[in-house]
Amino acid sequence: MRGLVAGLLTFSVYFVVQVLLFHYIKVSRRAFVLVGLWLCCLPFYTLFYAGLPDDQRIWPAEFSAPSDTVTFASGGLLYFFLFMGYAQFIYMAESSVGIRTMIELDSEPERGLTVEELVKLYGHDWMLGRRLLRMVHAGYLVEEMGYYRTTRRGCLVATVLLWFKRLLRLGPGG
Amino acid sequence: MLKGMVLAVVTFALFFTVHVVLFRIRVPQKRFITNARIASALGLGMIMVHRATPPDLGILPSVYTAAGWAIDLLNGLIVYMFLFIGYSMFYFLVDRGFSGRIMIEIEHSPQRRLRPPEIMARYPLETILQRRLNEMISIGRIEERQGRYRNTAKGRSAAAAFGFVKRFLQLGEGG
Repeated sequence: MRGLVAGLLTFSVYFVVQVLLFHYIKVSRRAFVLVGLWLCCLPFYTLFYAGLPDDQRIWPAEFSAPSDTVTFASGGLLYFFLFMGYAQFIYMAESSVGIRTMIELDSEPERGLTVEELVKLYGHDWMLGRRLLRMVHAGYLVEEMGYYRTTRRGCLVATVLLWFKRLLRLGPGG
Repeated sequence: MLKGMVLAVVTFALFFTVHVVLFRIRVPQKRFITNARIASALGLGMIMVHRATPPDLGILPSVYTAAGWAIDLLNGLIVYMFLFIGYSMFYFLVDRGFSGRIMIEIEHSPQRRLRPPEIMARYPLETILQRRLNEMISIGRIEERQGRYRNTAKGRSAAAAFGFVKRFLQLGEGG
């Protein structure tokens, strides 16, 4: 339990700091800040782990594990997994087309909206421009005289995604 | 604690194999629900195997198998659950990622470069929205009547919750 509790406590510290930071400061490069903050909180994991007692002193035998490498790694893994899950939640809240659509539909709860009305509210230029800019910043695309082409990194990602789409027979998707 | 982790990795490998084989044979209608059901069934199997086997599985070094059965199982289930969640993220990226689709379209264009209007022509916003709307109807978040889409009660709750998160964390309109 020692590792799991330390991992949970470290993620709690990360979560509180991240929420306060995003609430009070308008963060533009969110992915960079999310990852940077996660790394900055890593030392807390070691501190919490060192500060917690051995399982045998407080937990019943079924929930006790020796304080060895595997216990330490388990807590670190939990901190990593919680971060990954939370980062996905933030990405979904920020970028999901489905969620934005439900929020737009909430503006007309009785009458509802047609696809054409949703398209007007959304704006393809804005939606596409935002993604292209993000992919340029992340090093997946470069822009040359109004044209976009993939970098080596972008080409690799496109190849992997396409390979999985074909493996699972998912169609063009997007 | 090693036994739980080993079983989690083996169970996830089994899930991935079943998922790929199933999708190769016939892509299910409700893809994610099918994945979640396979993962849950195998998770139950993992619990049974954990309870029925010795702490060292007959092969693990005894120095790492001294943990209590409950913490070992809990740790294994956490690892298995997050491996599934992590894979689901990747799966959604492959299946629905708009940015991934843009990169694939650029890579497969004759000159391997495209201007924004050319990308829009290949993948119109109407198509993107229609696909999402159909998916949200199938999971009961919205309903369609005479070409107009409305949130259901479930959709309204989700819109309110995510609207709050967007405002509180200053994430912008997004989408």
